[in-house]
Amino acid sequence: MMGALQGFVAAREIWEVPLAASVVAGALLGALGVYVVLRRTVFVSAALTQVSTLGLVGTLLVEERFHIETEHASEQLAVAITVSAIGALLLGAFRPKRLPAEATVGATWVVGSALVVLGVSRLVHAAHDLQGLVFGNAVAVPASDLAVIAVVSLVTIAVHTAFAKELAFTSFDPETAQALGMPVRLWDAVLFLTIGVAIPPAARALGALPVFAFLTLPAAGALMLRVGFRPAFALAASFGVLAAASGYVLSWIWEIPTGATMVAIAAALAVPGAIWRLARG
Amino acid sequence: MTAPLVALEDGAIGYGRRAFLSGLSISVGEGDFLAVVGPNGGGKTTLLRTLLGAQPLLHGRLVRPRPLRIGYVPQREHVDAIWPFTVGEVALMGRVPALGLLRSPRAADVDAVRRSLARVGIEELAGRWYGELSGGQRQRTLIARALAAEPELLALDEPTNGMDPGAELATMDLLRDLQDGTSLAIVMVSHRIEAVANYARTIAFVDQDARLFRVGGVDEMLRPDALAALYRRPVEVRVENGRRYVYAAAGEGKR
Repeated sequence: MMGALQGFVAAREIWEVPLAASVVAGALLGALGVYVVLRRTVFVSAALTQVSTLGLVGTLLVEERFHIETEHASEQLAVAITVSAIGALLLGAFRPKRLPAEATVGATWVVGSALVVLGVSRLVHAAHDLQGLVFGNAVAVPASDLAVIAVVSLVTIAVHTAFAKELAFTSFDPETAQALGMPVRLWDAVLFLTIGVAIPPAARALGALPVFAFLTLPAAGALMLRVGFRPAFALAASFGVLAAASGYVLSWIWEIPTGATMVAIAAALAVPGAIWRLARG
Repeated sequence: MTAPLVALEDGAIGYGRRAFLSGLSISVGEGDFLAVVGPNGGGKTTLLRTLLGAQPLLHGRLVRPRPLRIGYVPQREHVDAIWPFTVGEVALMGRVPALGLLRSPRAADVDAVRRSLARVGIEELAGRWYGELSGGQRQRTLIARALAAEPELLALDEPTNGMDPGAELATMDLLRDLQDGTSLAIVMVSHRIEAVANYARTIAFVDQDARLFRVGGVDEMLRPDALAALYRRPVEVRVENGRRYVYAAAGEGKR
């Protein structure tokens, strides 16, 4: 154990950027998860992850077919962010009201998944690249990806701080907010845009499964502790940081899958809240 | 007669392009208490939301001579109680629309919230979680939030829905007390004529299935023939100790 830990410390140059990206993504998704959980839209994040992956696959297919050489993956990330942002607007803010939310989100997820599988089957060379882009890569997160996640996080914090009262009111009671003349759809669009933009860069650092988990488990754990609305953001972000950092380190030391370790720790962090709520009845 | 705070002139209401009631004219002035009554799904809430400007008018004219401070109380089942807000935080939301962008609540806003909680008798609950309150306490919290906006017009959608008779009376007494000595106008939607019969001054019957819209003073609307048009069966009105009691009489209905 000690030897493994020493080996981990010695390999700092390899993990410092990926670990930093994981921690920032964990904090960002943990905080955004408060809205995702309270608005009962956890499966929107799963569908958006598929949609952004579909954007990546589409970009890789175009690059292969037209022999476009890209040295960096920034083009793929830009496409994924764009597709995810559009998906977030369609699923979150401008969803057709005639269909139940579950139907729209479920259909997006399953069709997106199928198209990803079909798209990957047509990729010749880029399938290996896609593996890292979709499922995360614990040792190969470039500094540019860390920069993107940091910028997205700062913008998200700024938006959510500046418009906190509008986002909270229109999410909590859209009917009243609309009756009082507030542009509810606009605020929904702002909220879901921040979620949609956060998912693709976070997925590159953490992988698809942890993104879904980090948008759900830290917030659920924080909310079950009944700390209040504003403190829930800080607590959920802290849970996200803790799960990402400890998951990364432990997966390295024990040589087990990084994403799954992070998810398991995020789930473990939600247990005290669940026990507390059960005890309170 | 005072100028109306809000009025609908020859209006048509509905969703999308489909109007399910047309030729509607109605006005609400200072100190009015208008009850909009009809069956569930009859178009009452649509009429209320159209009056507030939250839903587009399909035809006609919505008149609002000047900007109006509005307080709105939704059906409490529509407000998700899983959100971890205290009673004070919920009530403070009533100040949000008037605050404007990038402005945080100030001492005057907190004072307005404290006064509104006191007016509905739940000042001591300010620090309690909204989700842990009883139905009646949640209703008072939502009314306090509406009052925090210091409204000239208070709009309520089925505020006594699901309440036992005692809680219903308490809520209606509260609304009457809120109007006492003020110019506050109230528009209340209810599917229960019994709830509003002794409080409203004007009543509107709304039933899109029967293509029915009729509005008038309480004495005019609580006549058996007018009520029979709404309920499509014989209805009797009894007055005891100054209170009106409305009940369905024996006989065949037309539904």
